[in-house]
Amino acid sequence: MPEASLPTVLVVDDNHDNADIMRQYLEAKGYPVSAAYSGEEALSLFESVRPSIVLLDIMMPGRDGWEVCRLMKQHPSHGRGVRVIMVTALDQWDDKRQALQTGADDYVTKPIDLPRLVRVVERNAAALQGAA
Amino acid sequence: MKQPVILTDSDDPSIRDAAGFLDSWDVVVRRDRELAAAVEEVADVRVIITTTDNPNALRDIVDRARARSLAVIVGCASDMARRRAIELRVDEWFLVPATGEEIAGRVRSALSRVAPAAAALADRVERFEYEQMLYDHLTGLPTLPVMIERSRALIKERGEMIVLYFNFVRYSKIEEIYGWEKLDAVLETTAQAVREFLDASVLRSSRVMVSFTNDDDFVFFHVPAPNVAAVTDAEITDLVPKLQEFVGGRIETTHGEEIASLFEIYVGRAHVYYNPKIRLQRLIYRGIREAANAAKGIEQRERGRRVDDLKRSLRERAVYVDLHPILLAESRQVYGYEALARGTLRTLRSPEIMFDVAAEADLLWELGRLCRSRAIEAMKTRLTRGEFLFLNVDPHDFADPQFSQLDQEVPDPSRVVIEITERTAIKDYPKFRERLSALRERGYRFAVDDAGSGYAGLGSIANLEPDFIKLDISLINCIDTNFIKQNLVETMVRFANDQGAKVIAEGVERAEEYETVKQLGVHMVQGFFLHRPSENAVARTGEHAASRPSDTIAHVGGKT
Repeated sequence: MPEASLPTVLVVDDNHDNADIMRQYLEAKGYPVSAAYSGEEALSLFESVRPSIVLLDIMMPGRDGWEVCRLMKQHPSHGRGVRVIMVTALDQWDDKRQALQTGADDYVTKPIDLPRLVRVVERNAAALQGAA
Repeated sequence: MKQPVILTDSDDPSIRDAAGFLDSWDVVVRRDRELAAAVEEVADVRVIITTTDNPNALRDIVDRARARSLAVIVGCASDMARRRAIELRVDEWFLVPATGEEIAGRVRSALSRVAPAAAALADRVERFEYEQMLYDHLTGLPTLPVMIERSRALIKERGEMIVLYFNFVRYSKIEEIYGWEKLDAVLETTAQAVREFLDASVLRSSRVMVSFTNDDDFVFFHVPAPNVAAVTDAEITDLVPKLQEFVGGRIETTHGEEIASLFEIYVGRAHVYYNPKIRLQRLIYRGIREAANAAKGIEQRERGRRVDDLKRSLRERAVYVDLHPILLAESRQVYGYEALARGTLRTLRSPEIMFDVAAEADLLWELGRLCRSRAIEAMKTRLTRGEFLFLNVDPHDFADPQFSQLDQEVPDPSRVVIEITERTAIKDYPKFRERLSALRERGYRFAVDDAGSGYAGLGSIANLEPDFIKLDISLINCIDTNFIKQNLVETMVRFANDQGAKVIAEGVERAEEYETVKQLGVHMVQGFFLHRPSENAVARTGEHAASRPSDTIAHVGGKT
């Protein structure tokens, strides 16, 4: 059963509609998905859900995506196994450079192109398998 | 007092083990459908562990548990079950089979989740953050606040304590050159090595703790155990070079000679005596400061010695050149060589250190001249097939009045590529460009080194109109699994193609990295993967293996 091996995804976006669309689309593709609507909630779900892939919006009130990414990557027990994909409206050189600095593995640009989103998730899932 | 109860529908012996780990909790087993009812009937339940694969039953259990603020943990036999558990937002889950220890851990974390609801979310995140501050996530070592708290009782009991301050110099350089991922890996190796070393040293029997303070320093508290004499100063002095050797050796075997040669440790020490009139915390901080100053003092003295070494090296021309091949990505044919100058003296082996010392002693021009002339000698004698010579030139060097003598020495300027690093700030841009174009007219080509190392983007590179763009090592390290790096390199290649420049990937260490950069359209590659003596590339190019340092030392014949 191919579905059984799909990694768990955590979608984080303060815009509920965005988060839910991404969630539904990925669920339709067979991924187990959880959604969080703030940085704080994302960190809490990160511990309970233990996702393998996190789709992380950068501009959120409170703890922004940069900070959340850094904290996730530093997590003592599951910081290493997680792949963080930044979701961003920015497509500038220095944004990507900053994403690297915080430990992110990939990024997708807004507005979200859903088939592209799935391709990005797929290649990160493949990278996870390669590492295992 | 009655023990808390784990209510479960499973006979899994690991759950009994877990109860043991949790300070002898009780376990009550209720099969299948009876479990949900038991949630309300059994007294003192704190946690429910279910292995049911019936979604309705699970929902029922979760609802009843929520009403009573009990934690629900699901033992999942399949990925489906796990997915369902996550959707129902159970407090924790584990994959069956799990050890008792893991289940106990899950119970603890589930308990921390259930009790307080919404308001506690922020608290939990904050605690998560604070916990990270107490232990260094790379090394697992306690940080300073934890150490101070723990040493309070010890120092009162014993009346004295020795603070050792280990100053690791140039770790920031590693980050600058190779990126933070490499630095993290090196720090981890360092911490591991230091711990192993101390466990086997005279400090073993004492009660000690180690910690990072600001990422590249360790503080080490030595509180002698009762009935054991404190370690003497002589013993500590004796320990330091051995520690340096041990840690350096470990770094070399794990991360290679290049990184190991950057590395130095200085150790300062201070005694702290218990004084009931002064707050202990202040005493300890004072001790740490004193030890840190002592370490700095040693470093200063060592620097003075280095300057003497450098002056001697300049006098005796004790610099040799390593030639690192640059290969065409597709064919792996040698295109040129980058000349890397190294001091013949052991203390100046690393070019970074050598140039740092020169900057401090205001001898940059002198060192630059020597390195250039050594590189050109190497070009004349060893680059006999018309290969390009890639020559590192600091923007500072262009101002050297003797720089124009380069022409008299260089046999063929069109075979020389001058590398300028993006890292050095160029102060007088118009003047600098003027100098570049003068050199360009005489036939020299240019490469921008460490491109993409900063946030500056492509504009500053375009300004220099380079013929070659050498990508920063941090972009290449693990590029095969990082898609952001791939994207940045792709952008750079497109940009270079527009500008008519060639892109060189430096620091290619693994086959996967080589394949990735080749696919991204990078024109040339340079790195350990391609010129290790055992590699085909070297075998094919035969005598080019002469770029190994052992041969080159013989060639230069400088005194050591």
